[in-house]
Amino acid sequence: MSAALELKGVVKCYGKLRALDGLDLAVPCGSIFGLIGSNGAGKTTAMAVATGLLQPGGGEINLLGAGAFCAEKHAGRVAVLPQDSRFPPHARVEQLLRFYAQLQGVPADAVESNINELLDWVHLSDRRRSAVRTLSHGMCRRVSIAQAFLGAPELVLLDEPLNGLDPREAARVRDLIRQRRGKQAIVISSHQLTDIEALCDHVAFIEKGKLVRQDTLEKIMQRAHRITYMFGGGLFPLPQLSAALPEVKWELAENRATAVFPSKYTTEELNAVVLRILLDAGVGVLEIQRGSDLESEYLRLSPV
Amino acid sequence: MNRTFRTISIIARNELADSVRSRWFIAMVILYLIGAAAATALFISFLHSIETEVLRTIGVSASKAAGGATTTLWKSDSLRRVLVELVGDRKLVDNLLSVPPLGLFYGWLAFFFTPALVMLTSSTRIAEEVSTGSVRYVMFRAARSHWCIGKFVGQALQVLVALLLSAVGAWTVGMFRMHGFEPMATAGYMVLFALKAWIYALPFLGLALGVSQFCRSPILAVVFGFLSMVALSIVSFVSKLLAGKGWRGLWDIVHAFTPGAHKSGLWWNDGAHVIPAVAFLLALAAAYYLVGYARFSRRDL
Repeated sequence: MSAALELKGVVKCYGKLRALDGLDLAVPCGSIFGLIGSNGAGKTTAMAVATGLLQPGGGEINLLGAGAFCAEKHAGRVAVLPQDSRFPPHARVEQLLRFYAQLQGVPADAVESNINELLDWVHLSDRRRSAVRTLSHGMCRRVSIAQAFLGAPELVLLDEPLNGLDPREAARVRDLIRQRRGKQAIVISSHQLTDIEALCDHVAFIEKGKLVRQDTLEKIMQRAHRITYMFGGGLFPLPQLSAALPEVKWELAENRATAVFPSKYTTEELNAVVLRILLDAGVGVLEIQRGSDLESEYLRLSPV
Repeated sequence: MNRTFRTISIIARNELADSVRSRWFIAMVILYLIGAAAATALFISFLHSIETEVLRTIGVSASKAAGGATTTLWKSDSLRRVLVELVGDRKLVDNLLSVPPLGLFYGWLAFFFTPALVMLTSSTRIAEEVSTGSVRYVMFRAARSHWCIGKFVGQALQVLVALLLSAVGAWTVGMFRMHGFEPMATAGYMVLFALKAWIYALPFLGLALGVSQFCRSPILAVVFGFLSMVALSIVSFVSKLLAGKGWRGLWDIVHAFTPGAHKSGLWWNDGAHVIPAVAFLLALAAAYYLVGYARFSRRDL
């Protein structure tokens, strides 16, 4: 099994609106996969269709190599952090997590340790006996995140996981997700491209229910072929650089120059030459960025 | 334990626990308990006033507590003969008169009120989880069918507990306020009627959860639940009225699809009447529930 989740030509209509219009997607096993798209692009619908919460109107879904979602085959192996879903207000945090853990078949002797670990992770150990109705929005979001990782399912789908979290908790959750790299396939849908950039190794852009592009973050950000230099003063020494590196193309903007280079150079080799020439020319280098940034790629691939 | 049974039992237990946590179950139990106790107290007062009236008429001094004359009358051959004339079935009359008066009253009370209370308390249970989205945390962990059956079992257990407690309420009032009260016999019949009322309530529970599986709003679920219950009562009444020989026999079939048609079987104490009634009521519970599930199994959550 190479893909934890595979969608082929999946269609979902709400009346006349085609929320998914033949969506293709392949989430590799063990990857952290970013799902990027504008509002209404179909990210949430794609996740709900994949996990059987919504009934597709067509196409093929293959979840963990066992076909479309079926509780008998997938319960305990797949988890979702749904958007805009509330917990029963009277349940206490630990009771709720215990119920979910039991339901998905976490062994009885592992339930409590699993709950303790996750509550510690999301920083809610002190609120384990609190009723859900007494928790803030951010705390409920953290309980939602904890439930998605109960029993370490093979595939976790997180819809806007960092929404509503304060910066400290967001950083904590990012760490939590990073620690799972290679152990679980994690799909994250988010508008926060910096989060996707920081966490994901694979990315898919979807618009109007269709896949625009899917690739590794490395390739999408062209890290192997682009370096951008931000400089503060001095005249940019383009003639010297062109002479030293004739196969490199330069894109110049104000206080910013991007080198697009062929694969015969490594990033380190190119950087060594460019920096030497810039420093010799008295150009103050303020920042170096490897590859493009996700926002630029998103804006380029998903025009208004 | 088989995974299916395990899942259903986890969901049923959570359903019970959630009702307790939300105080809903406690409110329901109190409603049943106080309702049964108050109705029994009213019944005893009513009985006492009738007895007093009758005894005054025949010039005998009335007793302070109700039930003395009723108990004597209950066991008399004269009443038996009158009832046989009225009902036309000696066995049914013998059957009913073998039950202590308060046991019989409790049976009537439970049969009469439980369906409406079940519609009130159970029809929101699935619609509410769909409307808040909390169902989405469960649906990737359990099959939809298991979740719905677990909800049904949890609700059914709640109704059973509430009915048994209401019997305790009625029994306690009788114990302290009724003359000639037979504690053991009455308790036995009350438990029996609580169980029978529970069986009779199951089709209504199936209807309540069936409607709940259709609706996205708990308020709409309650409204539609009550409307369907009223519609069923009307169908039951009309079909019984129109049933007859020839093509009118079709009304008998229609009547058989309503719980009311099988209630009379539960008044008996012998298996020949009770078992078919129970079988029909369970089948109706499953049928009403499955109509709702046919929609729920395919709906977007």
